[in-house]
Amino acid sequence: MQIIRDRAIVDDDFVHVPDGAELPEAGKPIVTLAHYARARETLLARYPTVGVRVPSDKLPTDIPELARVALVAIEFPKFTDGRGYTVGRMLRERHAFRGELRAVGWVLRDQLRYLERCGFNAFELKPGKPLESALEAFDELAGTYQAAVDDPRPIYRRR
Amino acid sequence: MYQYDDYDRRIIVERAQQFRGQVARRLTGEITEEEFKPLRLQNGLYMQLHAYMLRVAIPYGLLSSTQVRKLAHIARTYDRGYGHLTTRQNIQYNWPKLTDVPAILDELASVEMHAVQTSGNCVRNITADHFAGIARDELEDPRPYCEILRQWSTFHPEFAHLPRKFKIAMTGAPGNDRAAVRFHDIGVRIVENAQGERGFEVLVGGGMGRTPLIGEVIREFLPKPHLLSYIESILRVYNLHGRRDNKYKARIKILVSALGIDEFRRRVDEDWEASRTPALELPDAEVARVSAFFAPPPYQVLPADDQVGVIQLGRDRVLGNWVSNNVDAHKVPGYSAVVISVKQPGIPPGDVSDTQLDAIADIADRYSFGHVVVTHTQNLVLPDVRTSELPRLHAELRALDLGEANANKITDVITCPGLDYCDLANARSIPLSLEIAARFDRVDYLNDVGDVSIKISGCINACGHHHVGNIGILGIDKRGEEFYQLMLGGSPGNDASIGKILGRALAQDEIVDAVEKVLDRYLEIRESPDERFLDAVRRVGFDPFKVAVYGSADPLDAGGD
Amino acid sequence: MTGNFTEDGAVAWRRADGTWARQIAEAGLFVDEPTAKAAATRAAAQEQREICDPYGIEVHAEGGAIDPLTARQRIRANGPTIRLRRPDGER
Ligand code: SF4
Repeated sequence: MQIIRDRAIVDDDFVHVPDGAELPEAGKPIVTLAHYARARETLLARYPTVGVRVPSDKLPTDIPELARVALVAIEFPKFTDGRGYTVGRMLRERHAFRGELRAVGWVLRDQLRYLERCGFNAFELKPGKPLESALEAFDELAGTYQAAVDDPRPIYRRR
Repeated sequence: MYQYDDYDRRIIVERAQQFRGQVARRLTGEITEEEFKPLRLQNGLYMQLHAYMLRVAIPYGLLSSTQVRKLAHIARTYDRGYGHLTTRQNIQYNWPKLTDVPAILDELASVEMHAVQTSGNCVRNITADHFAGIARDELEDPRPYCEILRQWSTFHPEFAHLPRKFKIAMTGAPGNDRAAVRFHDIGVRIVENAQGERGFEVLVGGGMGRTPLIGEVIREFLPKPHLLSYIESILRVYNLHGRRDNKYKARIKILVSALGIDEFRRRVDEDWEASRTPALELPDAEVARVSAFFAPPPYQVLPADDQVGVIQLGRDRVLGNWVSNNVDAHKVPGYSAVVISVKQPGIPPGDVSDTQLDAIADIADRYSFGHVVVTHTQNLVLPDVRTSELPRLHAELRALDLGEANANKITDVITCPGLDYCDLANARSIPLSLEIAARFDRVDYLNDVGDVSIKISGCINACGHHHVGNIGILGIDKRGEEFYQLMLGGSPGNDASIGKILGRALAQDEIVDAVEKVLDRYLEIRESPDERFLDAVRRVGFDPFKVAVYGSADPLDAGGD
Repeated sequence: MTGNFTEDGAVAWRRADGTWARQIAEAGLFVDEPTAKAAATRAAAQEQREICDPYGIEVHAEGGAIDPLTARQRIRANGPTIRLRRPDGER
């Protein structure tokens, strides 16, 4: 599968492992938060790189040992569920999370710019949505007023 | 007023371009209506019963004459010759074509206007006291802070998909709230603390709709530099914890009342401590920069008694009546604030035609330093008129059918679009207001009854603010037909209260009769002509009015739905 | 069946042949529920590009006149009940 990472289309080197599904032999699994919370020692011992998929109603503090996680995938169950924007910002700004921050679920090109400003650097678009043209979205609305992850200075410190 | 610099301009132009692309994708079918809806809503574009509706933001209600002319041009070129002033100090067009909307947004951008965030679950247009900057009872002009908030809220990346819409209002006249700050998601009052410093009192969780609530004080005194960081923390707590499972329980007021104000405050403070950085503090220099745009216009120094000729007023009863009803005191001697009534008999409240808008722009240039303000009562204000010019101005307004002397009177009805336009409506509201205007079109009766606000909403969303009408009317649906509930006792201001239902719902041909009976009963029972309608209702309670309307105060006869 | 045209938002009524009209008088009628439901599902899936959110409504039809059962649909069919300044939208 292809995703957008750091504003480029790339092959996804991670695999999603739904609850109850078999873990891959090797590679980079993205497991559910519940799975990770239950078996994180085993997982971290077996795979050098582990991603965690976080439901939209969870907070960064719900992820144990965040520093050992390579990827956090935040779920957007609906286009209009905006909790993930805040969670993304918190992960980057308050928890200094430096790994891959990925938006998954109902993700459309029109969210990409805002998601990026909130600290997301990877995006799995809703199935069927074109990736090429979605890249254009990063250049829309280049001007910004607020402090966010991309720039901690509000407009009045930049004008 | 505020003027865009290159930075502001770029942001609005980019947005218009972006929307052009989104419209194109909708028209080719790349995105479905379901996916397009949140996008068009963030650009103020609704689907109504008969057509799209475009809501244009008028930040804190303030317009220049150039902008008014542009609004006229848009009404003429892309719509059906009129626009509609809303209770949130915006203007909406009822008949734009989707294919024309990108062009309309370009036109708006050319005069520093936009339709950004006039809809959708985001921070909406910031509203303010319509006498901001000129009121005698004002501590400080709130508009610079409103503008700072407008910029902060525009395309805020974190808060574009809140649980529900979010409305902020601000007043700089703490003693006389004309902006209904207690009925907003966040209300801000500029206040002075015991040390004589200026800051903000912040209220949260007010609102109308299905569950009307009066906002509670979350912070008594917020030092000015923290305005944005603190409001951001309120929004963050709401974004994370507001309900998303039920749209009728999704507003912040439900969260605040579920948690209780103390727990809500604790969470906000906790977030605020974790998130505020020195960079977020609002520097004095920025406040000064923005404030300079709102500096007073070049008033002439006039003697305080530079008044309308007493003789002229005495002779001309129509003029005298208009002056006493529609002209308000101004902080500068020799100047007045004029309310242009957009409530003319036979015309839907708040509807202005392209020719009227063009004429108002000219009048604003000649009489009021080129400024016009939209009020939340769906009227217009000329903020800075020389008092001695009132007679001439009045004559001009009359010639435009804009000279009604009914500000704050019973025919100054606030009305939402209702079932004539609105997709969500249960019942029509405009025909009721027209009927009220026709029924009470008698100067003596109007003045005798005095200040009474009638507010009509076509459904529980309460765009017509019926909860805070002295008389409120709410359209409901009974098996596909239109019915109305009558409420009494609401008030949006410093003496905030929520109206209560008088009795059983009334049919369309009963409701205006009922209003008349209520008013007649008031005239009978008031202690003196100085006792306002609202005070009389508060003093005597509902029984006399129930008897007047339903023939009995017995709850069984008066019913209840 | 009704909806709104995507292009200009005008009220749309589905003709019997599956095309869309601007006048309710041209609307096709369904007399039994299953056919109506099936048509609604088809239209919702296929016609999203041209028509926003199509759905079916109940009407009373007699002598060629079609009269919706609710106030809301009557107003949709006939336009606002108040005088419009420029009802035709002529420029
Ligand atoms: S109150 Fe209801 S009917 Fe009136 S404009 Fe608002 S949503 Fe529409």
